[in-house]
Amino acid sequence: MSTNLSRRAFLGTTGLMAATLAACNNGGEGGGEGGGSSAAAGSVYWLNFKPELDETLQALAGTYTESTGVPVKVVTAASGTYNQTLIAEMDKSEAPTLFVIGNAAGVKEWGDHALDLKGSAIESELSTDAYNLYDEAGKLVSMGYCYECYGIVANTDLIEKAGHSVDDIKDFASLKTVVEDIHARAAELGFDAFVATDMDDSSNWRVTGHLANLEYYYEARDAGGWTECPAELKGTYMENYKNLYDLMINNSIVEPTALATGGHDPANQFTSGQAAFFLTGSWDYTGISAAQPNVKMLPYYCGVAGEEKAGLNCGTENCWAVNANASEENQKATMDFMVWLVSDPDASAKLVEQLGIMPYKNSAPSTNGFLNDAASYTDMGCYVLDWVTTYQPNVDQYRAALVSALNAYNADQSDANWEKVRTAFVDGWATQYKAANA
Amino acid sequence: MMNKEQTLAAEQRRKTILSAVLAVICVIYVLPVVAVVINSFKQNTFVKTETFALPTEQSYAGFDNFITGMTFGNYPFASSVLYSTVITILSTALILIFCSMAAWYIARVSSKFCKIIYYLCVFSMVVPFQMVMFTLSKTADALKLNTPWTIPIVYLGFGAGLAIFMFVGFVKSIPLEIEEAAAIDGCGPVRTFFSVVLPMLKPTLISVGILEIMWVWNDYLLPVLVLDINQYRTIPIHIQYLKGSYGTVDLGATMALILLSIIPVIAFYLAAQKHIIKGVAAGAVKG
Amino acid sequence: MASTKNSIRSATRRWSWLFLGPVVAAFIIGFVWPFFQGIYLSFCRFKLISDAQLTGLDNYGQALADISFQHSFWYTALTAVVSLVLINVLAFMVAYVLTQNIKGSNLFRTVFFMPNLIGGIVLGYIWSMIFDGILAAYNTSILLNTTYGFWGLIILMCWQQVGYMMIIYIAGLQAVPEDMLEAAKIDGATKWQTLFKVTIPNVMPSITICMFLSLTNGFKLFDQNLALTGGLPYIIQPDGSTVNTTEMLALNIYNTFYTAGAGVRGVAQAKAVIFFILVAGLGLAQLAYTRRREVQQ
Repeated sequence: MSTNLSRRAFLGTTGLMAATLAACNNGGEGGGEGGGSSAAAGSVYWLNFKPELDETLQALAGTYTESTGVPVKVVTAASGTYNQTLIAEMDKSEAPTLFVIGNAAGVKEWGDHALDLKGSAIESELSTDAYNLYDEAGKLVSMGYCYECYGIVANTDLIEKAGHSVDDIKDFASLKTVVEDIHARAAELGFDAFVATDMDDSSNWRVTGHLANLEYYYEARDAGGWTECPAELKGTYMENYKNLYDLMINNSIVEPTALATGGHDPANQFTSGQAAFFLTGSWDYTGISAAQPNVKMLPYYCGVAGEEKAGLNCGTENCWAVNANASEENQKATMDFMVWLVSDPDASAKLVEQLGIMPYKNSAPSTNGFLNDAASYTDMGCYVLDWVTTYQPNVDQYRAALVSALNAYNADQSDANWEKVRTAFVDGWATQYKAANA
Repeated sequence: MMNKEQTLAAEQRRKTILSAVLAVICVIYVLPVVAVVINSFKQNTFVKTETFALPTEQSYAGFDNFITGMTFGNYPFASSVLYSTVITILSTALILIFCSMAAWYIARVSSKFCKIIYYLCVFSMVVPFQMVMFTLSKTADALKLNTPWTIPIVYLGFGAGLAIFMFVGFVKSIPLEIEEAAAIDGCGPVRTFFSVVLPMLKPTLISVGILEIMWVWNDYLLPVLVLDINQYRTIPIHIQYLKGSYGTVDLGATMALILLSIIPVIAFYLAAQKHIIKGVAAGAVKG
Repeated sequence: MASTKNSIRSATRRWSWLFLGPVVAAFIIGFVWPFFQGIYLSFCRFKLISDAQLTGLDNYGQALADISFQHSFWYTALTAVVSLVLINVLAFMVAYVLTQNIKGSNLFRTVFFMPNLIGGIVLGYIWSMIFDGILAAYNTSILLNTTYGFWGLIILMCWQQVGYMMIIYIAGLQAVPEDMLEAAKIDGATKWQTLFKVTIPNVMPSITICMFLSLTNGFKLFDQNLALTGGLPYIIQPDGSTVNTTEMLALNIYNTFYTAGAGVRGVAQAKAVIFFILVAGLGLAQLAYTRRREVQQ
């Protein structure tokens, strides 16, 4: 423990020193930008893993080099090949100085190659530490440069039309009241409460992935947070999962028995105003807000004690790590570049346009309403439901079993059938964990 | 006399009834395809709720499904048509050329090595793809056979069995004298094969070609495991992936794409029906 | 003459690299090497091929003890046998009627054969739309009920394969000697007697071929199974694992390889070898039978 501590302290100091040096350098040059001297001071090589971001990054890299003279190379790994590209590139003499460590598995595998970012100039730009990844020793391995969120999207106009206000929804009981009232008067109102919770492959992730997160999150919170995939689940919050699930399937446009093969196009049901509630995430904002301008994303209210303080499910796998083995000049150049990306008004605006939101104090404001909802919950002191769904072992098989059990439950909502759902959810986790770690 | 006329008339009536019954069955038989056609012109949500109804004013979508289908599933449909076509043509061409050459060599030289290859080919015909799928996809990946331009080599390897088996059977039935005459006229083996043997192989070439086209065009598992599917999807892969497309599945567009993908098959069938039926029968009887 | 033959043969041999080279190379890549590597790996425990470790017959033990594998075996056998009977009875009936010189037989033949050209994935999609269109009226779905899933697949297989088998039967029926049929007629045999005593014995070779074909087709079925039900519905076991009630052998092997986690790939390969032995057994039995018949003729 003591060695760990001292290493942390040591790295922390170098980080600080680098920051100080950076400040000195800038001062010394007297603002003389674009000189050859700063080019010699280091270069940046960013191994990017989001192909859709490539165009923006190449443009930003060009702008940065033009104004500072620091060479910036951005290489984007082809979709699905980031890991193998990283393995290959890290061995080279010109290794990436900036790369992505996006989850606990990544920290385990690449954490040793990452510089401790604690105390760095870029860390001081952060507006929240919710998207930072630490290793077991507490080293700040990587920090999020954007995040996404999901929850229950509510159409505020429709809710008002039904004589309620979205602001009244503060917990599961109040959500239930509104939802059940709308569903009961659906014929009269001309719209229903929930869209179809389709169980085909194009939609079932909303309940086997997203909704399941509430169970995992509260269970993880009880355990003091997960840093790796637990071997088994307790299922403590299955009741809460059931609360919200039942509410969705029984207060919907479509009968639960018709959900198995899907095809009801829930997104279209929501945008065309046929229903007031829809489970989705921030990536759908543009499409939804074009059709329904007044929408708000609500937390997963499910009957957990203290849930008035719940926020949205937020998370990211887009986290920056700086290569610890890069030369000091390159590390410095890289961190300067990062600071520029999150603080320069033009640069951060371009990035926010692509990424949705950046958790940094001086970055451009987001235009994504759902991400703004997430941020305002955080500002109000609500807790973020971290993405722990990402720990699901053998995810395809685990979810397929859950889908089948939920199908049977949809057709006949008996206790025996819910027991099967519970078995797939809880015992299935342990079984798949064993299979994955055999 | 009277009696005979009566039985003839009865026979005639019986045949008319049979024709009528078969006609009804035929209509039922094409209904699934008709359903695809109908639904490809319906708006997405009506496919689910009014599967068997004709499009109404409310549900009619015109050609919208075909337009959205072109980019539906985050992958251009045109690319999958292109890749399917490239893979099918190249694979069939490779199989026809190289397997007929090998078969002729095996039939005529019949050394021990030839016999080993021949029996391995026969053996490979009874090996299900699942037996080799994992190792084959790894091998193909290591050798960079994961593009539409290189995957035909995998098809040549895995499909060689049936083709060589059929070609050898046919070559054995060609009298040697013709080739001997060509040799006496000073033809080398290569010229003998291409100018004398190959033309005689034409019926078998067509039969084998049709079997290979049908196999490769419709194949799903081999390309999905071998190709780099982020870049290259064949039509069956594209259609299977529509189901899992993240967000929403557009059933109308899916039906439009299914229709587009079976139109060339049916056109090909109607154009080459005789050969196809003959090829299939030949393949079945031999295989 | 013998000397020409030999000189031709030796001249040809000089070109063996051209005639055999490409096929042999591709055949090694596409079949021989993967096949033997597959056999080897079925005795190994591995996540990556490079770190495979021999573990003897462990994988086979696990494969045979896997209840989902056992289930898929019996389900496959049942599907194969039921489809074999139905496809062949229907195909023979259609072929028999079509060879009776009736009007429009060419058109009928064209229509019946057509579905055979449509790929399995697309077929699965088409039929899942149709079955769900029907079953939705009864508040259920083909994905909710094993019985529907089973008969759905059988109907799909019949639709696809009846036309194919019909072609073979037509060829067989047309080869029945006309004089034998005439003789039966003159002897005063009824239609049914002629059918069972003359026609069927004469098309026995076609019948055998079709039976073997539909049996192996049934055993190897994958695309249609994947696209129609994908194994749904599942039975959830007490430990949270599943038995996928409409999953056939090929799909079970595929799922073991690609969704059950890297730890059980050895087991998946062992299942594949068992599957190979089954299918190859059927195929070799067929070859042996055809051989014997050719000798007898």
